[in-house]
Amino acid sequence: MDASRDAPGSFSVQAAGLSWLVGEKRIIHSVDVSVGPGELVGVIGPNGAGKTTLLRLIAGGLRPTTGRVLLSGRPLEGMSARERARRLAFMSQDSSQAMTFTVMEVLLMGRYPHLGRFESESAADRERARAALGVVGMAGFQDRIMGGLSGGERQLVLFARILVQDTGILVLDEPTSSLDIGHQDRIFSLAQDIARSGRSVIASVHNLSVAAEYCTRLVLLENGTVAASGNPGDVLRPELLDRVYSVRTLVSSSSATGSLTVTVVPGRPVARSARVHLIGGAGSAVNLTRALYRQGFRLSGGIAHEYDSDEKLWRSLGVPMESVGAFSRIAPDDVARASRLVEEADATILCSFPVGAGNAGNLRLAGRARRLFIVDSGPGDAEREFFSAEAAEVFQALCARATRMGQQEIIAMLERL
Amino acid sequence: MKTRPAVVFTALSALLAVSVVLGICVGAVPIRLQDVLRLLVRSVGLQSAPAPDATAAVIISQLRLPRVVAALLVGSALAVCGVVMQGLFRNPMASPEILGVSAGGSLGAVVAITSGAAAASQLLLPLFTIAGAFVSTALIYSLSSSRGTTSLFFIIIAGMAISALCGGVTSGLLLFARQYEVSQYVFWTMGGLDGRTWQHVLYSAPVLIPGIIILSLFSRELNLFSFGEEGAHSLGVPVEGVKRLLLAVSAVVTGVAISVSGPVGFIGLMVPHFLRMLVGPDHRRLMPAAALGGGMFLVACDLVGRAVAPPFEIRVGIITAIIGSPYLLSLVLRTQRRSPGAR
Repeated sequence: MDASRDAPGSFSVQAAGLSWLVGEKRIIHSVDVSVGPGELVGVIGPNGAGKTTLLRLIAGGLRPTTGRVLLSGRPLEGMSARERARRLAFMSQDSSQAMTFTVMEVLLMGRYPHLGRFESESAADRERARAALGVVGMAGFQDRIMGGLSGGERQLVLFARILVQDTGILVLDEPTSSLDIGHQDRIFSLAQDIARSGRSVIASVHNLSVAAEYCTRLVLLENGTVAASGNPGDVLRPELLDRVYSVRTLVSSSSATGSLTVTVVPGRPVARSARVHLIGGAGSAVNLTRALYRQGFRLSGGIAHEYDSDEKLWRSLGVPMESVGAFSRIAPDDVARASRLVEEADATILCSFPVGAGNAGNLRLAGRARRLFIVDSGPGDAEREFFSAEAAEVFQALCARATRMGQQEIIAMLERL
Repeated sequence: MKTRPAVVFTALSALLAVSVVLGICVGAVPIRLQDVLRLLVRSVGLQSAPAPDATAAVIISQLRLPRVVAALLVGSALAVCGVVMQGLFRNPMASPEILGVSAGGSLGAVVAITSGAAAASQLLLPLFTIAGAFVSTALIYSLSSSRGTTSLFFIIIAGMAISALCGGVTSGLLLFARQYEVSQYVFWTMGGLDGRTWQHVLYSAPVLIPGIIILSLFSRELNLFSFGEEGAHSLGVPVEGVKRLLLAVSAVVTGVAISVSGPVGFIGLMVPHFLRMLVGPDHRRLMPAAALGGGMFLVACDLVGRAVAPPFEIRVGIITAIIGSPYLLSLVLRTQRRSPGAR
């Protein structure tokens, strides 16, 4: 066993009080980061927040102005380059990539820190390189010239070289910047597997949903300082992201994978003065909510059932609303509470949803509207069904005084309000 | 276009042997191969072997052999330094001249010539050349280094500036020089190996041979430099140390080499290109190939210069340019046609 290798399970990165100044300008200012064994820590933040600089400081590419970095407990400062490269592998974004070398030659360069000056690569090293190539899904590419590969393929080769370097600590600077979503998924799955095998991985990630899905912890950088760090759920909070990224974000839980997804809500134009109340249910108000939100209307919603997709959307957008517990009946009291929102609204829209005993109250609520629009169900919408004769009667009564039209027409009408 | 390395090395070695033998035999006075072989057999200790022709023996041992050995050393040194520069700067246009060696060396030479030192002793011209080369390189080097790092980009800029400065001073000195001094200088700048003696070999070989070996030991590091300084650093190369060492050794080797031959152009720039096309980019093959190929090329060019119009000699710098450039161009064109987009 190589004397300068740390025992498995003891791999870690501890960076404390890191600062890096260019002249008077602070690029990184008193940042603390730690990566324990088995962790995949994601560094997120807008462009220019200092993600790459932070990773370079950790990888020893830059010497911090203040602060220090410990690699598996040993100070990085004073470690020889070779010793460092046996502990830590760094994949940079630099695109200068030895175009004339073959893939195998590039992979074997990963063995450099392990070889003596007069030692050449062994058959085992070649086998390791071939295996790494297979792991990234590029088996059989070993004799290809780098210059003949696509940008994504080259990035995969460089990731494979990190595997060939075989270190306990991996520092990845946007490892998937030129990869399609399939390969992006593959690289991060691999990084996750590597972390789970007891190594320490830290990566800067642009895509916040990817960061949420794969990272055990996130560090959010803002102007060179840590704005937040912790579990993805604690860091990916809309109010925090909105401030740091200066956009409106929507954090939701992916229905397919259960992981958090972060989407950017397109910027709102000048706020309109018109107030619109949406009566929905069973997700019937989602599309209209998004459309009107983008148009800059002030919205309110309800009465919603908790955990309904309408309710979740309104909650995440901060739309004022009234709601009742999941699957509970909307009582007259609830209608009375919600009436204030409806009566103050310039227009109320009754979306297309099935009406049963639980939500019949929403039809009565619609009766309080100053101006009522009823959405004609379009393709893909839930059928407007009535499970009681009474509900059907109330609806007929509403129709008599409401404007019935499709979603797009309603939006067009509202814009003229 | 990448030929099997074994084939390339065998071919290079064979060509080198042939050029050395021809380099000894061909000239104003032709030497028979028989005499060369006899001298060789005797020199390894077999005194019972038949004696070579006495005149031939003197011509071989005092004129041709030192000249061929000098050409071999200088050619190898310049080609290896060219490989190092191109690898370090990751630029196919890089050559040892970037370090200001030629411009500084030329200034040293013109000082030696106009001050009369060159006329006083045969070795003073090379010594002045070395001094000029070292001073200008040291200047460029210190200008490009700050806070413990040396910027390759600033080396190029500073190299251009210092070279221009040296060129200006050189021209200024020539303006006040006598006609024959100007001719002597112009003659020197063409590069040549005529009249090179064992003295030249003796002072240069102890620098050039270890220099070439040291540079070759850093082949793997040069491979990693093709990923940029950051890439090399992340794979465990002590970038600053290696960079400084390679720059310094290259400057010393080039300075000493051109003090022997004058500034022979082309070799440091073109021979590496040519060989890279044959053996690929791996410096572990490219370095020895350049050492063999550069030596062979300079010996051959010197040979051609002597053989074209005896007893007159065409300066070797002229031959290297005239033979090498069209050949390299044709190679580049052929490679491009075969694989579009390849570099």
